[in-house]
Amino acid sequence: MTMIQSAALVLGQAFLILAVSPFVVGLIRKVKARLQCRRGANVLQPYSDLAKLFKKGAVISSTTSWIFTATPYILFAFTLAASLLVPTFLSRVPLSFAGDVITVVSLLTVGTFFLMLAGMDAGSPFGGMGSSREAIVFSLTEPAMMLSIFAVGLTAGSTNVSTIVHNTALLQGIVTDPPPHLMALAALFIVTLAETGRVPVDNPATHLELTMIHEAMVLEYSGRYLALVEWAAAMKLLLMLTLLSNIFAPWGIAIQPDPASLAIGLGVWVAKVSALALLVGLIESMFAKLRLFRVTDLLGVAFILSLLALVFFYILRGRP
Amino acid sequence: MFDPAVIVPPALISLVTAHVAGALAPVVWPWSDRVKNWLTHGAAVAACTAGVLIGIGGLLASDPLAFSLPSTIPLLHIQLRLDPLSAFFVLIISVSGVAVSIYALGYVREFYGRHSISALGALYHGFLLSMILVVTADDGFFFLIVWEIMSLVSYLLVVTEHEKAETRYAGFFYLVMTHVGTAFIVMTYLVFYQQTGSFTFDSFRHPGEPLPDGFRTVAFVAALIGFGAKAGIVPLHVWLPYAHPAAPSHISALMSGVMIKTAIYGLIRVYFDFLGGAFPWWWGFAVLAVGAVSALLGVMYALMEHDLKSLLAYHSVENIGIILLGIGAGMIFQSYGLSHLAALGLLAALYHTMNHAMFKGLLFMGAGSLLYATHTRNMEEYGGLIRTMPWTAFFFLVGAISISALPPTNGFVSEWLTFQSLFLSFMLPDPLMKIVIPIGAAMLALTGALAVACFAKAFGISFLAMPRSPHAKHAKEVPMPMRIGMGALAAVCVALGLAPMVVIPMIDRVTSPFTGTRLAQSAVSESGWTLTPMGGEFASISTPVLMLLLTVTILVVLLGVVLIAGTLKRRFHKTWGCGITLQPRMEYTATGFAQPIRQVFSTIYRPTVKVEKEMLEESRYFAKRMRFEVHIEPTFQRYLYDPVVRAFNLLANRLRVVQAGSLHLYLAYIFLTLIALLLWVG
Amino acid sequence: MVHPDLGSQMVNVCSMMLLVTSFAIVAQRRLSACVDLFAVQSVFLAVTAALVAFLTGIHHIYVAAALTILIKAIIIPMILKKVIERLNVQREVAFVINIPPSLLICGALVILAFSVTEPVASLGFLLTKDSLAVALAIVLIGFFTMIARKKAVTQVVGFLMVENGLFLGATAAAYGMPLIVELGVFFDVLVAGLIIGIYTHRLQDAFDSVDVSKLTGLKE
Repeated sequence: MTMIQSAALVLGQAFLILAVSPFVVGLIRKVKARLQCRRGANVLQPYSDLAKLFKKGAVISSTTSWIFTATPYILFAFTLAASLLVPTFLSRVPLSFAGDVITVVSLLTVGTFFLMLAGMDAGSPFGGMGSSREAIVFSLTEPAMMLSIFAVGLTAGSTNVSTIVHNTALLQGIVTDPPPHLMALAALFIVTLAETGRVPVDNPATHLELTMIHEAMVLEYSGRYLALVEWAAAMKLLLMLTLLSNIFAPWGIAIQPDPASLAIGLGVWVAKVSALALLVGLIESMFAKLRLFRVTDLLGVAFILSLLALVFFYILRGRP
Repeated sequence: MFDPAVIVPPALISLVTAHVAGALAPVVWPWSDRVKNWLTHGAAVAACTAGVLIGIGGLLASDPLAFSLPSTIPLLHIQLRLDPLSAFFVLIISVSGVAVSIYALGYVREFYGRHSISALGALYHGFLLSMILVVTADDGFFFLIVWEIMSLVSYLLVVTEHEKAETRYAGFFYLVMTHVGTAFIVMTYLVFYQQTGSFTFDSFRHPGEPLPDGFRTVAFVAALIGFGAKAGIVPLHVWLPYAHPAAPSHISALMSGVMIKTAIYGLIRVYFDFLGGAFPWWWGFAVLAVGAVSALLGVMYALMEHDLKSLLAYHSVENIGIILLGIGAGMIFQSYGLSHLAALGLLAALYHTMNHAMFKGLLFMGAGSLLYATHTRNMEEYGGLIRTMPWTAFFFLVGAISISALPPTNGFVSEWLTFQSLFLSFMLPDPLMKIVIPIGAAMLALTGALAVACFAKAFGISFLAMPRSPHAKHAKEVPMPMRIGMGALAAVCVALGLAPMVVIPMIDRVTSPFTGTRLAQSAVSESGWTLTPMGGEFASISTPVLMLLLTVTILVVLLGVVLIAGTLKRRFHKTWGCGITLQPRMEYTATGFAQPIRQVFSTIYRPTVKVEKEMLEESRYFAKRMRFEVHIEPTFQRYLYDPVVRAFNLLANRLRVVQAGSLHLYLAYIFLTLIALLLWVG
Repeated sequence: MVHPDLGSQMVNVCSMMLLVTSFAIVAQRRLSACVDLFAVQSVFLAVTAALVAFLTGIHHIYVAAALTILIKAIIIPMILKKVIERLNVQREVAFVINIPPSLLICGALVILAFSVTEPVASLGFLLTKDSLAVALAIVLIGFFTMIARKKAVTQVVGFLMVENGLFLGATAAAYGMPLIVELGVFFDVLVAGLIIGIYTHRLQDAFDSVDVSKLTGLKE
């Protein structure tokens, strides 16, 4: 790949992530509405919401500091940067050398860290409550995430997302040992729900301050700051869904950067992510939000599943 | 060609001269406190700068350098040896030393007229010099002497504010624990001495005949306990959260940042240098397990701490654990003959050692600044300090991000390397190891996440929102030298994160004599920008590129938002508080922030909650007064230390019979001992 | 004939599901869901057995599979459901050890089972050799469930999990026991299920609870 090609691919991916992420959110909302026998808003509604928010002025709490106003930009930029390290429609991302899957997780963590700070910055008890809850959910998610990544990484012999995706894609639909893969998939799916603040861990549609986690942290934001935070949340969701689909079922992704396979890869990516979004919407409609201290049970299950994935990997592969 | 080794002897002489001069100058003449402060800490800056040169010279020198002084005491050889490992630690000590000494110029103003600046200065110099000697000593006997000097001087520094009872208690606790540790280190060296008949490290390194396995095991365990007590591994960590906060903050920065690293030095010296070669697999595993437990428990107890300095002290336990994870992984790989991976584990550990010295020094200085400005260590009385102390807040934030291992700072690089070396456990032949070591990685992930939570708490509660007390409301930014000291280490933290390709070849010179392989070529890609521990296909990061990417995205987002949406119409208004004016008392507290974590891990914390309510007489729904208390159980103290202390007290009571108070009886004891000795010898 | 690798992978997937359902039982808060999950586990067990029968051509395993479905997936769950219905109010599982630590302990048990069977399994040549570790793990988890849960119903489920584990182990190690032994075992399990069901009723009548820790009151 030449420099110009690489740059074009990176820019293209950035543009796609920015463009597709509100759609995923809209899709999930639509699915939920339909399952609740409502017509629901247009799938493209999130775009209009963002546009409206960008146009509006912002009310800023006078108790806040520069952390509060800087956080949306930091969050947005770090999430976008993390998205550029993950293969979407092309298995080998030009920037993949700059960071592996652990880096992706860490970049997202920076955003979470600043959001927790911003939640506390206004001095409102709601923000503090959100940050405090985010701290525990996020902490318990991390070990399950790391172990499931390990289990997946073992199959591909790497922690580089591009390498994992590329090697799995080359297998052409034959995963030699389904059990570890399936269990790691289940674990990472639970992790995704927890990380992106979805039911049954958090409810993105809630208007009750006492049950909020993510929404409570961003309660004080308005105008373009809120737009950036929401957009970043959508990108994070898209990023996690992309990781899930491309790590476990990368088929159809472009292995070579030629126009035909890129076009196919793009279509397949949108289809896979949409399918996962449907699933998330379905789960949000089927399950109730768990009490905060029941979330540990769920994340415990995720941890055990990823541990079992690891054990099974060695049971099946460990010996000659 | 210029040999870097030539700068070492003059630098060493200037280091010693500056230390001696700095220690004595304030003593010889009754200058004012201000002059004394400048003299003594100015000399310390000079000495540490010389130390930096020694470190760099020693690291780049082709052969280890040796120095010796004549000694008249049998068995004691005053010998110094500067091999890459020693030089690396000299470098760490000196870089922190420079920043901390500059900081001390401002911080010590607090003590004008209250404490003797000359004594503080002399001890400070003694402390720095003894640490340098510890990591360069080349003789077991000499090592023990300087080790002991280091411990005693640091004890004296801990009890600087001896008018407080809690400080005296902390000092006593520290003194006991460090001597328990020293006893075990003596035991380690005696094992070697017993075999080789000499205390020189050279004879330890090349014993005439190899040590029997039993002795090697004794040396291993004794070194782990002895150095572990200094490093603060669980369960020998209990003194750390008492002693480190009690000392003046610039001393805390050195103790937590640097002194506990001398124990890491000791461990690596004993394990890889003296006992090197093939270990039994369980050695590495034991170190790994101790590391994992220390890391997790360290951060968990840190979360429950609301004294900012104790919180940081617990984080030292955590980070020592992370370092031991790297060392343990390295030892396991070494015992299976995978020397390339062993080098990687050791590299991760040493990188983290250096990083921790930098950010922990920075954070302790930050905590010291808060103490200087508000006169309290209790986080619940801070708040809103980012407005009154913007510089301190910014530097503390850099430290917090580094210690939370967030990209693209230095903590991230070394923790990433540790993760990689744990991940590579799949190369091991033993199936059980393959499963258990990733669990260590999961524990490290949990540790990292909890550290993020803990520093969100520490920074958020201390610096953000509204001031929670009059102290915080009237705080002022700290004097310039303190800001320079913090700023220097903050810059080093960022630089170490952005330039792993400079640091890794340096550390590679340290590890290659022990593992017999060189990583420098393979671990850094050809272009020099990317870190590839096991080849680019396997995993790679490039912090400079990440940094560039992040900067570009932030700029593009900033610009893009303005271009698309125009300039922002902002209105400022006070935070909505459900219709009532928000008071600082309504803010989330540190205790409240940690409550979910306390509840989820209640098995470990065993919290006891006490709520007292006094109701109005007219109605039982309106409280007149409420009091809420929560304590977590000090498990280790209660179940491990208290029984031992009780047993000792009991024994001491029994032995009291011997103490009759009669001079004649005492003389008789001495006499009888003499006779017994004569009989035994004869 | 199915490709042997594919066959052994299918067996592996099934035994994985057995283990996953065991964990699901441990992580469950509702009694009736525990019983349902046990039924699901038994179905997976039957499928595993049928797969082994199909792949090896040993026909009597089919009989065992059918009996598994009949007794463990239908009859015993029905009995237990009846018992739970009679309990009316107390439908929550009662814990001696809470869910997250239970899960961690069970995870450790799996690792133990895996490392213990490692030397045996690496010598094996049967296509089910990998299931041995899973079987032992299920036995251990079943035992643990009996210890860590208070109510009699959960103890029955634990006991039956042990039985499922043993059955899987027998299939894994030796392609099943002789038919007559298996029939005997099934009969035993059925009788045990009945007896414990009746015993639970009695317990409910006597103490107004199925919490077996109440039985300590009997020693006086």
